[in-house]
Amino acid sequence: MKLFLSWTIALLLLLSLPTWAQQDWIRTGTGLGVEKVRLAVPDFKASTQDPKSPELLKVFNDTLWNDLDNAGIFDMVSKSFYPLEVPGSPADVKFEAWSSPPPNSSMLAFGNLGISGANVTVQGWLYDVKNVTSPQVLGKQYQDGATSDAVRTIAHKFADEIIFRLGGGIPGIAESKIFFVSSRSGHKEIWAMDYDGANQRALTHLGSISLSPRISPDGSRLAFSSLTKSSWEILMYSLDLDRMVTFPKFGGTNLSPAWSADGTKLAFSSSRSGDSEIYVMDSSGANLKRITSFKGPDVSPVWNRKTSAQIAWVSGRSGLPQIYTMEADGTNVQRLTDEGYAVSPAWSPNGQFLVFSWIRHYGPGAPGAQDIYIMDIVSKQWVQLTHDGGRNDFPSWSPDGRHIIFQSSRAGGDQIWTMLADGTNQKRLTTAGSNTQPNWSWK
Amino acid sequence: MAAAEIFFEHERWGRNLAWSAGFHVAIAASILAYTVIAPGSRGEGWGAGGGGDAMGVTLVSTVPLPANQVQTQNVLANESKGLSQSLPKPEVKEPEAIPIPDTSAKKKSKAETTPTHQKPQPQPEPAEEANNVVPFGQGGPVSGPYGVFSAGGAKGGFGVTGGGGDFGSRYAWYVRVVQQKVSENWLKYEVDPRIAEAQRVYITFDVVRDGRPANVQVEQSSGVPSLDQSAVRAIQRIDTFGPLPSDYSGNKVSVEFWFDYKR
Amino acid sequence: MKQRRLKWIMLVFALSAIMTLGACKKKVAPPPPPPPPPPAAPTASLSASPNTVDKGGSTTLTWQTTNATDISIDGIGAVQPNGSQQVTPADSTTYHLTAKGPGGTQEATARVTVNAPAPPPTPQASATEEELFSQTVKDIFFEYDKFDVRPDQQAALQGDIDFLKQHASVRFTIEGHCDERGSTEYNLALGDNRANGVKNALVQGGVSADRIKTISYGKEKPFCTQSTEECWQQNRRGHFVYQK
Repeated sequence: MKLFLSWTIALLLLLSLPTWAQQDWIRTGTGLGVEKVRLAVPDFKASTQDPKSPELLKVFNDTLWNDLDNAGIFDMVSKSFYPLEVPGSPADVKFEAWSSPPPNSSMLAFGNLGISGANVTVQGWLYDVKNVTSPQVLGKQYQDGATSDAVRTIAHKFADEIIFRLGGGIPGIAESKIFFVSSRSGHKEIWAMDYDGANQRALTHLGSISLSPRISPDGSRLAFSSLTKSSWEILMYSLDLDRMVTFPKFGGTNLSPAWSADGTKLAFSSSRSGDSEIYVMDSSGANLKRITSFKGPDVSPVWNRKTSAQIAWVSGRSGLPQIYTMEADGTNVQRLTDEGYAVSPAWSPNGQFLVFSWIRHYGPGAPGAQDIYIMDIVSKQWVQLTHDGGRNDFPSWSPDGRHIIFQSSRAGGDQIWTMLADGTNQKRLTTAGSNTQPNWSWK
Repeated sequence: MAAAEIFFEHERWGRNLAWSAGFHVAIAASILAYTVIAPGSRGEGWGAGGGGDAMGVTLVSTVPLPANQVQTQNVLANESKGLSQSLPKPEVKEPEAIPIPDTSAKKKSKAETTPTHQKPQPQPEPAEEANNVVPFGQGGPVSGPYGVFSAGGAKGGFGVTGGGGDFGSRYAWYVRVVQQKVSENWLKYEVDPRIAEAQRVYITFDVVRDGRPANVQVEQSSGVPSLDQSAVRAIQRIDTFGPLPSDYSGNKVSVEFWFDYKR
Repeated sequence: MKQRRLKWIMLVFALSAIMTLGACKKKVAPPPPPPPPPPAAPTASLSASPNTVDKGGSTTLTWQTTNATDISIDGIGAVQPNGSQQVTPADSTTYHLTAKGPGGTQEATARVTVNAPAPPPTPQASATEEELFSQTVKDIFFEYDKFDVRPDQQAALQGDIDFLKQHASVRFTIEGHCDERGSTEYNLALGDNRANGVKNALVQGGVSADRIKTISYGKEKPFCTQSTEECWQQNRRGHFVYQK
């Protein structure tokens, strides 16, 4: 009996050896180099002879390149290093030419665009050119009407796919939107545009002063503050219906609405009690609750984007405005900044950071540069992100947490700028009129 | 009956014992022999290039770890409401150092104080650690291979011959993503500042189909508990690596990750 | 025969007698009087001396009429057939004289040009409440980032309180303003605090709260746009606006 058991055990041990070996393993570690992926993106080729192809191809190629370049996670290989022959389909790919110098790329995105009748078809691939045996990471085909806008959207989608795969599961932002205030029509109204500054258009036509647009997490409604006949009120615009929808009025000065991450609550500043305080209510306007009670201006609340359990806001209760945090019910107030004039906090999507606008030296006679800073909430360590002069204010995070948009007056008037979350790659997005208070969509 | 059985066992006891013992010795001997004979000791198996085709593609000579932008315990930010699993990641994946060097002096002094301040902090860190382990692991005892591995010695050998399956060679780009994300999320300042250099710590974890890490374990400790913990936390912070490649047939991939610490 | 002839003569004689008698009687009526000669038409003349004056200056109107019974001048009224009168037109005016008489109507005009330059003399009739309000009630100015009334503004504040208590029916709005340097949202909240700060001070001084409305304009409606200390101070204020 015992012998039988021992044999069985031994046999089982022996038999299980191969299964351990078959377990798929990755072995890797730190210190092995985490530089950015070298990505080559040659122009897509035309797969059909059509007079419209060159124009659509140009839109597609420019958009695709910009999206991948803006993503901040690739080291884009300059087109001047590309071999003369550019692939339009898998059979054309010459691995050696791409993976060795001069391009020396790890990844290659290529494909073709064809028009038939009123439709355009785009085929795109992402290849690991250092892996000749199984290079394909992505193979996609898109079809839509043969218009500039459709082709631009296809480029955004393809770029987002590449970013999602190579960026570790975080969706790309190429289809996200930015909402902002523009005075170019003569009045401050709420406008919208693509994340790269394309398709700028007005949403409201109220003819008054409308400020602080904030889009809901599901992208269906936009809350903002506007000067009505008697007071500043929170107004609501429906993007689904393309018009204003009713929303309760509170009296006093009501400003800076902010959505909780699940879209069920709004926090805002109201002076209906005679002194501006932070209130929380349902996104329908019901169940109004006050959560601060300090003498002095309290404004610009923003929820913890990861948990909605805390709120950061600006309070002038100790003099110059400073950034504070508290639990969403108003308890556990903590002060985050210790000097200067700090305003406009924005909580990062991962919940770890606040970006805000800070004039660290403020007072009579001091010129006081106003710059965007990023602060780790727990350790309170901060890093200055803008240095190029002008007044920089109202930062807002991208949904992937890698980009920040803000308003800057460094080029003369107020315009909207974008940058990577470490302060590099600062680029201007708007030019006409005065454009302020940008707000990035949640996806 | 009972008497008979006892009598029976008693009679054959000596012989069977001898057989059993002998057999066990033989097995043990063969295991030992295997380790010696099999190519590569455990260290080599995970060496920078030796170990599996998995790594060959993406290895580069050592580059200093990307200076993480702003390092965080992210305690205030999220834990208290059951966020334990997905501790957020610092988004700035830039490998090159950002202005932080200016504040690194600040950081050093703060880092020294933070470990000691960790205990009194209102958001409980110990609680965080405890919480994190349970949701991750599928609870309960570790599954088979680990158990055997910790029996010592035999592991390297088995791992190597099995090869990295062919996952590493087919999906080198995915491996690179895993490497980058874990490295990005490793906050060196969580290690006790008095440590200048330490042995490697080996962590294992699984990546399931949708890209989430699971089952994080310290496979071989570096001897420095804070280093071990910082390594475990690095992986716990990650929400996802991105879904496993769609044409990969397995349900999960197991990762062995080592952390070299040098202050 | 003769008798018949005689009757015939007698008839004729009677008829002619009647006719003659009638005729005689007619002859007695007096002949119709000839139509009376038409009455004389009125004449009128009007002159102004001098016919150009500076604003506020006066001129003399002189007129003459004949054959008129009803004489009037626009803006003056009924006047004697001949006369003169001094007038002080506010603006250039054409004076119109109308003379009515049995003979008809006659008109005459005289133009007086008024030169504008001289400003009209200050408060003519009684000044309106709104004008008084904007002249007397002073805005309250604030320090950087502050919304409490500073000591050097107390006098102005007191003056405002006094006026408002005297004119108890006046309703008004206090606007809170900030200088351009701060952030849009914070400045709206700060402006609101400034407006409310002034309101509270007034209420404490005895002005009833239901007369007062407040609104904040932050830095959205500045009084000046230069980037200088003076302009910044100009913008940091609680501004009073009369409510009609």
